[in-house]
Amino acid sequence: MLTRIGYALRETWASFRRNLTLTMAAVLTSAIALLLVGATFLIQRAFENLLVQWRGDVAMIVFVRSDASPEQVDLIDQTLRASPTVIDVDKLRYLDKAESYAEAQRIFVGDPVTLSLLTPETIPTQFKVVPRSDDPALVRSLGEQYRTLPGVEAVALAEDEFEVISTLSRFVRTVTLIMSLILLVVAVGLIWNTIRTAMFARRREIEVMKLVGATNWFIRVPFMLEGLLQGLIGGVVACGGVWVLNGAWTNGVAGFKPGTGISSLIVPGGYLGGVMFALLAIGALIGAIGSAIAASRFLDV
Amino acid sequence: MIRLEEVTKIYGRDTVAVSDATFDISKGEFVFLVGPSGSGKSTLLRLMSRQEVADEGDVWVAGRNVNEMSPSRVPHLRRLLGNVFQDYKLLTNKTVFENVAFALEVIGKPRHVIAEQVPLVLDLVGLSGKEERFPHQLSGGEQQRVSIARAFVNRPLIMLADEPTGNLDPATSEGIMALLAEINDTGTTVVMASHDHRVVNAMRRRVIQLDRGVIVRDQERGVYE
Repeated sequence: MLTRIGYALRETWASFRRNLTLTMAAVLTSAIALLLVGATFLIQRAFENLLVQWRGDVAMIVFVRSDASPEQVDLIDQTLRASPTVIDVDKLRYLDKAESYAEAQRIFVGDPVTLSLLTPETIPTQFKVVPRSDDPALVRSLGEQYRTLPGVEAVALAEDEFEVISTLSRFVRTVTLIMSLILLVVAVGLIWNTIRTAMFARRREIEVMKLVGATNWFIRVPFMLEGLLQGLIGGVVACGGVWVLNGAWTNGVAGFKPGTGISSLIVPGGYLGGVMFALLAIGALIGAIGSAIAASRFLDV
Repeated sequence: MIRLEEVTKIYGRDTVAVSDATFDISKGEFVFLVGPSGSGKSTLLRLMSRQEVADEGDVWVAGRNVNEMSPSRVPHLRRLLGNVFQDYKLLTNKTVFENVAFALEVIGKPRHVIAEQVPLVLDLVGLSGKEERFPHQLSGGEQQRVSIARAFVNRPLIMLADEPTGNLDPATSEGIMALLAEINDTGTTVVMASHDHRVVNAMRRRVIQLDRGVIVRDQERGVYE
């Protein structure tokens, strides 16, 4: 058994060096494809921070002053429920101070100045309003009315703050996703071609191996390991790239003026770790797929 | 040891390589397959090692029906066979020792078995002292001895030799034939395809003669005609 593992590793390494140019091309393509995949994940996650307060078709947020009395809050609630034709009252949600504070932690993740000014006591509470009507003008005119109610601090409309970003986020996600998928397919193809070339270079050895009774798996394993390793190295390179990119981005965001939406676009470290792990896994997977196809198809040399 | 029953092999649509071949080879026999190029000698050998599958009839080798064998069992069949070729099929980037050791390595034999068996078989074929040479540093006869050593190192039941003297001069061929005879004396069945009259006539062993895929003669202690 040990002889076999030793053999497989030796052969993998030898073949790796022999095909250095092709191997580099396969590794780099996998790395770039995976980097794009990683960037897609990160961009998505960053936008989510920004969009978290609008999640679930929320179109309007009525912010209530932190010093509003319970009667004032009740009045706002009743006023909102008085328009069931425009507002979906079943989906109307009231976020108290604790909930609003927790949400703000995400929105202002990259904006420590604003964050330090907020406390669970001073934060405005909020009504999240999901409209029943598709007519934005109707929602807007209601919003104008609510603005004058006692205790209301502000009324925010998704139309103003959210839709551009939401559309932008969807567009960026679609583009990066399609590009990374195409590149992943290219990476599989390049790994496939590298392994095929490696097998062709060693066709005489493979012929002898088959004649003396080596099993197909014994012949295949070094080649499959080689492909797996190429994908995995691509994954490692992509991880480094994602890490550097995210660091640069986080630093850049810190330079923005507090209070602009940009400061929400930050990805927490735990999530970054998860993305890096996923990149390694996907890298290994594309390597395994590419080489498995090559190794099963080109054994009859 | 080897039994063919009404075996036919057709390449492509209508190139008949072997037609209705039937014969038995017992354990320990030394058999020549003779005939001109294209008469089906190599195809018969390839059918025995299942590099080809017969279109009709049955091929039995060491008690196994080779035709009906699943692909996953083929490696186990090949471990019972030793193959020798006209062009040696040595690996040029490996030394003599490594070429022979390779055959054991790739079927998962432990290192101590390799260290023990390879020198033994190299001694048998007369290549002691040349373990570290590369194939291009050897004469044709020596290269063929390496090839025979590689085929024999796993002590196969059967040696299949396809024109092993085809590239060698008469004196060198004699040495190779003596070696194959020695291997045959250990109880190993030897089947050898050849169109070399001198070699066949000198040995006086069983001769199966083919002509355009048909067996036209099967004679004990025969000669090339």
